[in-house]
Amino acid sequence: MVNYGGDEVSALVVDVGSSSVRAGYAGDDTPKAIVSSYYGYRPTAGDSDVQMGDTAGESNPEAPKPRSDAKLYLGQHGPSIWRAGMEIGHPFRDGLMSDFNPIPALISHALVDVMRTNPSEHPILVTEPAWNTSANRERMAEIMFEEFQVPAFYIANTGVLNAFAAGKGSALVVDVGHSMASITPVVDGFVLRKGLVYSALPKLVHAHAKHILANPTPVRRGIELYPHQLIATKFPVEPGAPGQFTLHEDRLAGTTDSWRSWYENREVDEWIQSVASVLDQGWNEQAAASRPPRQYEFPTGYNMYFGAERFQVGEQFFHHSPQLVAQNPNLPKNIPALLSESLRACDPDLRQVLMGNVVLTGGGSLFAGFADRLETELSRNIPHVKIHAPGNPMERRYGGWLGGSILASLGTFHQLWISREEWQEYGKAIVGQRCK
Amino acid sequence: MALSASDIRSALSLPQSTPAPAHHRRTHPSTTKKPDGISRELYSLIGPSAPSLAAHLAKPRLRQKPNLGGGGTVKWEHRPFGNSARSDTLQLFHWVKQSDPIGDYPFAKYNVQPKSYTYSQDEYSRLLEDSEWTKEETDYLFSIVQEYDLRWYVIHDRYNFPDGPIRAIEDLKDRYYSVCRKLIRNRPWPGDESTRSQLLNSYQFDKEREKMRKNYVASLEDRTPEEIAEEEALFVELKRLEQNERKFRKERDDLLRTLLGADSGLPDIVVEEDGPAALSIEGIRKKKKGGLDIDLPPTPSNIIQLGPPVSKRPPPPKSAIYDAQHCIVRVDPPAGSSNTTKVTHVPAHLRSFKLPVPKATIAPKVAQALAELGITYSRLVMPTRDNCSQLESLLDATTALIETKKIVDRVEQDIRVLKARLGIRESESADRDPKESTPMDVDLSKEDRDGEGGGRAQSVIRGRKQLCRSISVSSIDTSTSVHTRTGTKRQKRG
Repeated sequence: MVNYGGDEVSALVVDVGSSSVRAGYAGDDTPKAIVSSYYGYRPTAGDSDVQMGDTAGESNPEAPKPRSDAKLYLGQHGPSIWRAGMEIGHPFRDGLMSDFNPIPALISHALVDVMRTNPSEHPILVTEPAWNTSANRERMAEIMFEEFQVPAFYIANTGVLNAFAAGKGSALVVDVGHSMASITPVVDGFVLRKGLVYSALPKLVHAHAKHILANPTPVRRGIELYPHQLIATKFPVEPGAPGQFTLHEDRLAGTTDSWRSWYENREVDEWIQSVASVLDQGWNEQAAASRPPRQYEFPTGYNMYFGAERFQVGEQFFHHSPQLVAQNPNLPKNIPALLSESLRACDPDLRQVLMGNVVLTGGGSLFAGFADRLETELSRNIPHVKIHAPGNPMERRYGGWLGGSILASLGTFHQLWISREEWQEYGKAIVGQRCK
Repeated sequence: MALSASDIRSALSLPQSTPAPAHHRRTHPSTTKKPDGISRELYSLIGPSAPSLAAHLAKPRLRQKPNLGGGGTVKWEHRPFGNSARSDTLQLFHWVKQSDPIGDYPFAKYNVQPKSYTYSQDEYSRLLEDSEWTKEETDYLFSIVQEYDLRWYVIHDRYNFPDGPIRAIEDLKDRYYSVCRKLIRNRPWPGDESTRSQLLNSYQFDKEREKMRKNYVASLEDRTPEEIAEEEALFVELKRLEQNERKFRKERDDLLRTLLGADSGLPDIVVEEDGPAALSIEGIRKKKKGGLDIDLPPTPSNIIQLGPPVSKRPPPPKSAIYDAQHCIVRVDPPAGSSNTTKVTHVPAHLRSFKLPVPKATIAPKVAQALAELGITYSRLVMPTRDNCSQLESLLDATTALIETKKIVDRVEQDIRVLKARLGIRESESADRDPKESTPMDVDLSKEDRDGEGGGRAQSVIRGRKQLCRSISVSSIDTSTSVHTRTGTKRQKRG
C-alpha cells in the first residue's frame, strides 16, 4: 500500500463539464457514470406524464431557466427523448457554472441513480476550470456539504488534474473541451494564473461547421438538420439527391426551439466527429482536394460526399481568415495565439520546461488530425517541443476526472480534504485557503 | 529430472526387468492403491500389472509451490483512521489487514514544513530596513513564501500585495534571501562557524547575475529563424573543420610514428611492439567516443600514440629504498622539457642502446682514435651501468680531444696558409684549397674539412637532419593541439 503511495478511502470524484458530468470512484481509470450536462425540463410544474403539447409556448424565451420545482429529465433517458414542450437547459456559460439550480440534480443523478451510492458516506473531490470564480467554488462546497452531507470535500483544478493524469507535476495543459479551449501552465501542481488563457474556440468551430452545412454550395443545397425523433419515414436516396422523408407532423407542434436547436447541434457535432478533419501542414487547397472525400448520411436520409470543406472546419482551430477577423472584432483566439500569449506570460526559464511537457487533453482534441497539426504549429516556432497526447480516447476525454481519481486515492492527499468539521468552523473561507 | 528405469523402458518398449517393480514400489509405497488421475474402472482393467502406464497417468509430481501466504486467509477490515497531519478530527475509512497495528497514519510523515525565518519588530527596524520594501510587504512576502513552500514561480504568480509595486521574481528572491542572510548572520549561532557559513551560502542570491542570465535566455529565445539557421550552419562548418583537423593530425601522427620510431634509437622490434599497442589504445578511445563526439578533447599529444606516457606509470611509494633494494636505476627524462613532447618519452631500452653516438662529422675520427688505443666502443662485453658511464665519459673525452685537435689543426693551417701567402704572394693557386684534399682522410694530421663540404658528408648527416625536421614538426603539432584543446574548452563553456 505504501509502495505507490495510494490509500483508498472510497472517495468519489465528480467532474462537472459543459458537455457531461463524470462521476466515479477514486482509484478507477474511467468514470462509472457519464451523464450529459444538458437536461430537459417542462417550464410548468406538475404535468409530469401527461403529454400535451400546448404548454410549450408559455415558457419565457428570454430566461431559459426551469423553475426550481420543475421536473428535470436527466441522463440517458433525459433530453434526448422527445417530449412535448420539453425545453433544454444547460447550466454552463463560458465554461463556468452560471445556473446552480440543476447542479444538485445532475450530480445526484450521477451518484445516486447511476452509481447507486450514498454521497454522505464518501469524501467527494470536485473539479473546476482554472478560471473558476471563488463564489462558484464556495457555492459548490455549499452544495456538497449542505445538500449531499458529504464528510469531506475538495475542489481541484482541471488543468492540474490533467497534468497529473499525464503523470506530470509541471506541464502546459492544452485542453480543448466542449465549449472552451484553454491553455494552462502548471508548475509543481499549481496553476500559473498569469499564463492561463482560454477562449470559446470550440463554439466557433461548431458554428462554422453548422454554417457550412446549412448554407448551399455550388454542388449541393443547404442541409436540413432534422432530428431523427421528428422523422416518421425515410427512403434511401443517391448521394447528393434530396432526402425523401416524412416528418412526425404531430410532434412538430410540441417541439420547443431549445430542444430543436440542441438536437441540431448534436447532429452537427456528430458530423464533425465523423467527417471533419484538419490538415497537418497548414491550409493548402491542393492537399485538401487530394484527400479522399467522406460520405455522411443525415437523419433525413440525405447523404453526401464531403471533400475539401471538411478540412475547412478544423482550420478554424488554428487560423482565422482576415475577413472573418474583420467581421467579428472579438473573435475567440485560435490555438497558436493562445499558446504564444500563455508562453509570453511565463518566465523565460519556465518556457523550456513547459514546452517539453505539453499535455493535450479534452474531448475536442480528438478532432481528427488535431494533435499532428498542433505539433506542426508548435515545432515551427519553438525547438524541442514534446507533446503528450494519450492515444486512449477515454484518457483524453476524461483526463480531468482521471487526474482527480489519481489525486484522491493518494495517501498524502487525505490531509487536504476540507472536512465537515472545518466547513462548519470556518465557513466558506476555508475553500479558498485549502484549495489553492 | 528423475527418470526411473521403467520410464525409459516403456519409452523404448523394452520388456520390464525384474527390479523395476521394486523400484516403483519404493516411489509409490503401495502399488495396490489406485493412483490419482485414473478412473477406478480403467485401473481395475490394467491393474497393477501396468506400472509404467500408471506412472504416466499418475498426477505429475511438480516441484512444490512456495508457500507465500504463510497459511490461512488474510483478514481485512474497514478501519477508520485519523491523520496527524490534519488539525481536525476527520475520520476516513480504509481497508487494512487486521494484523496491521493501529498506529499513526503512515502518510502523515510526508507532511513536512520547510524551515522558515520570522523576525520581530525590533529585528526588522534594526537590521532589515530597506528603502524598496515596507515591513508590511516583507511580512506578506514571508507569509506567501511559507504558503507555497518556496516554489518561486508560483509565489511570483500569486504575489499580489495591494498597492505594492510590480515585483519581478528576482526582486522577491533577493529580498527573501537577503533577509534570511541578515537574520542568520546577526543571531547567536549555536553551532560552529563552518556550518553557519554553509547555511549562509545556501541562502546566497545574486540578483544582478540572475537578471543577466535571464536576459541571455530571453535573447536566445528571441532569435529569428534566420539567425538560428545561420548559427546551425556555422556550427556544422566548425564541426567539419574540426573533423578535418583531426584527420590531418592522425595522419601526421602515423607519419611521426613511422619516422621517429625507427629513428629514436629504438630497434625495429620495439617499434613494432609499440605500434599495435598504440593503435589499440586509439581504437578503444574511438569506440568510447562513439564516432563523432566533439566534446572530448582531442588527443593531447602524440606521446600517447607513441606509447604509454611516462607520467601515467604510478610511481612506487617508497621509491628510493625500493629502488636500492631492487637495483633499479631511474632515468631522468631530459631536463628542460616541461611540455610533453617527443623528447620526454623514454621507452624501455637496453642501456647499451643509449650510448652516446659521437657526432657524425667526427665519428670516424673518434673510432680511429679509440682504435689506436685498442678499444672497440661499439660493443661492450659487459654493458653494466658503470661500464656504460665510463665508456660514455671516454667518448666524451675523445670527442673533446678531437674537437680540440680540430681547432688546433685549423689554427695551424691558418698559420701555414698565411706563411705561404706571405712567401708566395703572386700565386693564389689551388694548392691552398682544402676541398681538393680527400675529405675522408683518416689522417688527423692532414688538413681538416668543413662539415658543410662535399656530397659524401651530406649522406652521412642525412639521418640527423631528418630527426631535426621531425622534432620541429612534432613541436608544432603539440602547440596546435594545445591550441585546439583550449578552443574546445571555450566552446564547451560557452
